[in-house]
Amino acid sequence: MKQTLRYDQPSCRLRVDGLPDVSTGQSADALGIITGWSLQWSGRPELEGRKDHLLALVAVVLPYARHLISGVGRPFGAVEDPVRIAPAPESGHHCLQLRSSQPDTAPLELKLDDAELTDLVRLLDQFRLDPRLQLKLDLPEPRPLRPREVLRRVPRRQRLVAPLAGALAVVVAAGVGLLLPDPPARSPQPRSVPAGPAPDAAPERQS
Amino acid sequence: MPEPSAVSASLRLPRRGLERLDLLLLCVEALDLNGGEALVWMSEQLGFSALFPNRVELWKRRCHNPLRRNTRRGDLDPAETDALIRLLCALADRLYPLLRALLTSAEPESVRQQRWELFQNRLSALLRERMNPRRVGVQTLLDAERGAALRRQLVQSLALATGTGGFERLRASLADPAA
Repeated sequence: MKQTLRYDQPSCRLRVDGLPDVSTGQSADALGIITGWSLQWSGRPELEGRKDHLLALVAVVLPYARHLISGVGRPFGAVEDPVRIAPAPESGHHCLQLRSSQPDTAPLELKLDDAELTDLVRLLDQFRLDPRLQLKLDLPEPRPLRPREVLRRVPRRQRLVAPLAGALAVVVAAGVGLLLPDPPARSPQPRSVPAGPAPDAAPERQS
Repeated sequence: MPEPSAVSASLRLPRRGLERLDLLLLCVEALDLNGGEALVWMSEQLGFSALFPNRVELWKRRCHNPLRRNTRRGDLDPAETDALIRLLCALADRLYPLLRALLTSAEPESVRQQRWELFQNRLSALLRERMNPRRVGVQTLLDAERGAALRRQLVQSLALATGTGGFERLRASLADPAA
């Protein structure tokens, strides 16, 4: 009755243990209830946990990969969440932070390079799209990023150059405008009285 | 792998997406010396012969990349772009060990540098042959230093497009709005 799903990648291996949920009529080779899992990394400590931890890992790593494929590296997961991933200061590396539910246990921080992250993403894809896994995972479908998210791809300095240069140009133009002397005021010219009759004056009758 | 006709709910890719799609295919050709042939072979294997009956039709679709020397106007049909993305993902899957070798930091720096130089040389040769050298994007990719980050980004995108969930991820990424 007990089911074990195994997925392998060059640098990591995932094993998921569970049972079919017979109350919903699942077949004997399905896995509807996760009882435990373990993730083995080459040269790193083995990770183990409950279903919630695995789902948290999937929910954080896959959206991170979705953004990364668009060239946008931004953290996913809050500091107090069980799993958090963020770009590392070194280029081509990523910090995966796992917080244990056990009290007084320091969070485990793993530094993954691009190849190890890709292995992990492929592994989690294999797991979530396995037809034997009959468990509802509330994962959003990959969607195009919003314009604001895409802007993160452009460095802030580069993004600010155009508006700052525009604002500077306006300020300089206004300053130069203020430095220009005002045109001299002209005194009003006295009007000369026309010699002839006013054009609209009525002609005098001669008797 | 779904049938070509079953490729539904497709997105129409913007010009920027078509540009990236063609550049990713070019990276596949740079990684695999026989990449052009592999593309045609994979198209037949995946059942896309109706969409791309020969290599000329395949080339015409790729010419919607605005960076090409001989670029074509207009948009591609969503079924055609989906087929091209599926082709790319399947080819990237075959090349995953090479992609991984480029991205890993576990090997000595000299070995990695040698790999990247080889990739850069092949990609530059293909870019000079097919792309418009007056475009800034092409000039950046051809530059050894300025183009390094962009080349790495392309290889990383290829690596993340592999596997069972790669197609959906890459397709969504190619439909991103322009920055």
